Amino acid sequence: MTAGDPILERWQERVRAAHAARTPLAIRGGGTKAFYGEPVAGEPFDTREYAGIVDYEPTELVVTVRAGTLLADVERALASEGQMLAFEPPHFAPGATVGGTVAAGLSGPRRPYAGAVRDHMLGVRIVDGRGEALAFGGRVMKNVAGFDVTRLMTGALGTLGIVAEASIKCLPVPRVEATRAFEVSADEGIRRVNEWGGKPLPLSASCFAGGRLLVRLSGAAAAVESAIAKLGGEAVAEGAAFWASVRDHAHPFFASARDGAPVWRLSVRSTAPYADLGGETLIEWGGALRWLVAPRADAAKLRAWAWANGGHATLFSAQERAASALHPLPGPLAGLHARLRAEFDPRGILNPGRMGAVA
Amino acid sequence: MSGVPAARERPAPTVVAGVVERLARDYGARASTNASVREQHGHGEGLADAALPDVVVFPHTNEEVAAIVRLCNAARVPVIAFGIGTSLEGHVAALYGGVSLDLSQMNRVLEINADDLDCRVQAGVSREQLNAELKGTGLFFPIDPGANATIGGMTATRASGTNAVRYGTMRENVLGLTVVTADGRIVRTGGRARKSSAGYDLTRLFVGQEGTLAIITEIQLRLYGVPEAISAAVGQFPDLRSAVQTVIVAMQHGIPVARIELLDELQMRACIAYSKLAGYEARPTLLFEFHGTAAAVKEQAEMMAAIAADHGGGAFRFATAAEDRSQLWKARHNAWYAALALRPGAMGFSTDACVPISRLADCVLETREDVERSGLVCPIVGHVGDGNFHLLVLFDPNDGEERARAEALAQRVSLRAIRMGGTCTGEHGVGIHKLDALVAEHGDDAVDVMRTIKRALDPNDILNPGKTVPPERRGQA
Repeated sequence: MTAGDPILERWQERVRAAHAARTPLAIRGGGTKAFYGEPVAGEPFDTREYAGIVDYEPTELVVTVRAGTLLADVERALASEGQMLAFEPPHFAPGATVGGTVAAGLSGPRRPYAGAVRDHMLGVRIVDGRGEALAFGGRVMKNVAGFDVTRLMTGALGTLGIVAEASIKCLPVPRVEATRAFEVSADEGIRRVNEWGGKPLPLSASCFAGGRLLVRLSGAAAAVESAIAKLGGEAVAEGAAFWASVRDHAHPFFASARDGAPVWRLSVRSTAPYADLGGETLIEWGGALRWLVAPRADAAKLRAWAWANGGHATLFSAQERAASALHPLPGPLAGLHARLRAEFDPRGILNPGRMGAVA
Repeated sequence: MSGVPAARERPAPTVVAGVVERLARDYGARASTNASVREQHGHGEGLADAALPDVVVFPHTNEEVAAIVRLCNAARVPVIAFGIGTSLEGHVAALYGGVSLDLSQMNRVLEINADDLDCRVQAGVSREQLNAELKGTGLFFPIDPGANATIGGMTATRASGTNAVRYGTMRENVLGLTVVTADGRIVRTGGRARKSSAGYDLTRLFVGQEGTLAIITEIQLRLYGVPEAISAAVGQFPDLRSAVQTVIVAMQHGIPVARIELLDELQMRACIAYSKLAGYEARPTLLFEFHGTAAAVKEQAEMMAAIAADHGGGAFRFATAAEDRSQLWKARHNAWYAALALRPGAMGFSTDACVPISRLADCVLETREDVERSGLVCPIVGHVGDGNFHLLVLFDPNDGEERARAEALAQRVSLRAIRMGGTCTGEHGVGIHKLDALVAEHGDDAVDVMRTIKRALDPNDILNPGKTVPPERRGQA
């Protein structure tokens, strides 16, 4: 990793000054996920100047990247070596950065089968709320030396530190991918993807919407062919484009969201039965992720249903913002959050309020 | 950073006596001050010299654990979580006395959700017990560190094992936890959902904290379908570099090998003698295991054989029949005993450094030369797909000078791995033995942050004090 970089030193000075003056900083990369979490009032802190691939050794299956690097640039560099980020991170729009990807901790369609962002994070360099530059983890696949601060930073929305650099595990692109479609009810779709998920099938994505279940199979040719023979279904020609549209919410289901309708993200156990929650639903991740277009006023109902099904409900995006987009935490958990936040950012200057009441 | 906590001291004997008396009153025979029980709880399976707790208590419920922790927190008496005592780095030694919290009687599998591919267990459930209870569901829990450890202990030390390339480690397979915090609150993190919690990833913070931030009492685990087909193969190589290169190429091709194990010449010689393996030579050897559908397994094994052949891996042999497979893997599992048999009467311990895979051959070969200079006998096994290898260091327990030489060799392995961009510990954890190496690896500033996390979550330093993170910067007594 690159210590003593002039840009990083400038970041440190700026955070030290903000710490001294208690100036809130609103950290941003490309702004493609600015809608996620609660709005932040603060001095803009743009990470994009700190860009570039620091180290990429394809034989190691690891890439070390500065936060401001475009996600698209990293993906292109990996693709030229036949590799990819297996958690299939959403871009949502051109301009998504690696720092934003790590801070938001959002993963795409491949997530239940290949792991989440955090599962691929091997190390991070951050600037904490006092302006200290710190490095955690490393570049090896297994590391049990000390507390797992790298994962703690992933998905913390910048409230524990400004992500400056990340070492991320890459994987080879599957040799063959195929997408199959099935006309089924929601209940039947949930039942099938769960049943298939327990079998040694090379599933790599699923999406149910509008009476159609699509699944993607990835792997060696023989494995994909034998899975197709087992599952049946009809071939989908533009598979890659379809999954990119699900990943980036360009799928027609999200059309109303683009016009400002509130979209809810319900994370639940994968076998949670289909429930008519009063809006259209798109189901991903083998049943574990349910997108719903429903009014903000339904928050209590949606959260109760998600909680009863082992998860939580987040108001993912909405034109009109309001407090409590994120699912509130039970008391003792909130207490632990506050204590951690106080250690990394004692004056609460990093993205204050982005995580709601917690941070 | 300011406010570095002072090194801990043993609590006053009267304070300890008060806690012991209270535990005896509340838990009767489930609180023991018996010398042999205390002795058994004062050490794991590693080199650590035992440090005895004052009392061992066997709770049955989350609420009992919380009550015990509250009692200890009020009195500032250490609490050391104990599963089955298979940790290797002195994790359970009661350095400052106190209460050993033995969770082995909290051993119920609470839920098996076959359709959701998950289960919830109490911390004292052992790995083998869980897999026995999963029989008939078509599911299994793959993480296998070798020892029949408890799931609580495996979670607390972020255990992994021979099949991490395919199934990951405890980090990737724990979905959620119930923990008791230092102030005696019962907290549930994560849950049934894959992307579990809103907020910080506390689950991951508690996985691998070695009982220093919270006591883990329940674990939600991810399960996997039992593979439809399993096959194994063995390849023997002219030298270590060819074997490692074979693995690097296989990883580049994305062949989802379930296990890849490396045995060096010396370890292979030990295994041939100990497990009576016929038809093998004492050469660098790779053991492979493939999981999947019958078609996928066949394809993987054929691709692997072709890659091995390109690297001089002659006599690539397949073992599809269960008994052939089990003979091979039994030999691997018995590698430890085979190694000990190289030097009857010797004791041994194992290093567990992990390096970027491109440096693995360099690191192992440099280590080999170092071993030769040290005059010790040390075979090597490795989970090559991860860049993780074990040097099995044998020494004469009655020879203090030799033991010191053995420990110095292990320390050099840690520093060598760090120098090559790796870690001092890929599997066993920090405990007390790798505190210095932790600082060498992360630097003082990053370790300061770990210290402040410890202080934030355990301000009275009652949870397994003296482990995982050095209590203070050197020279700041």
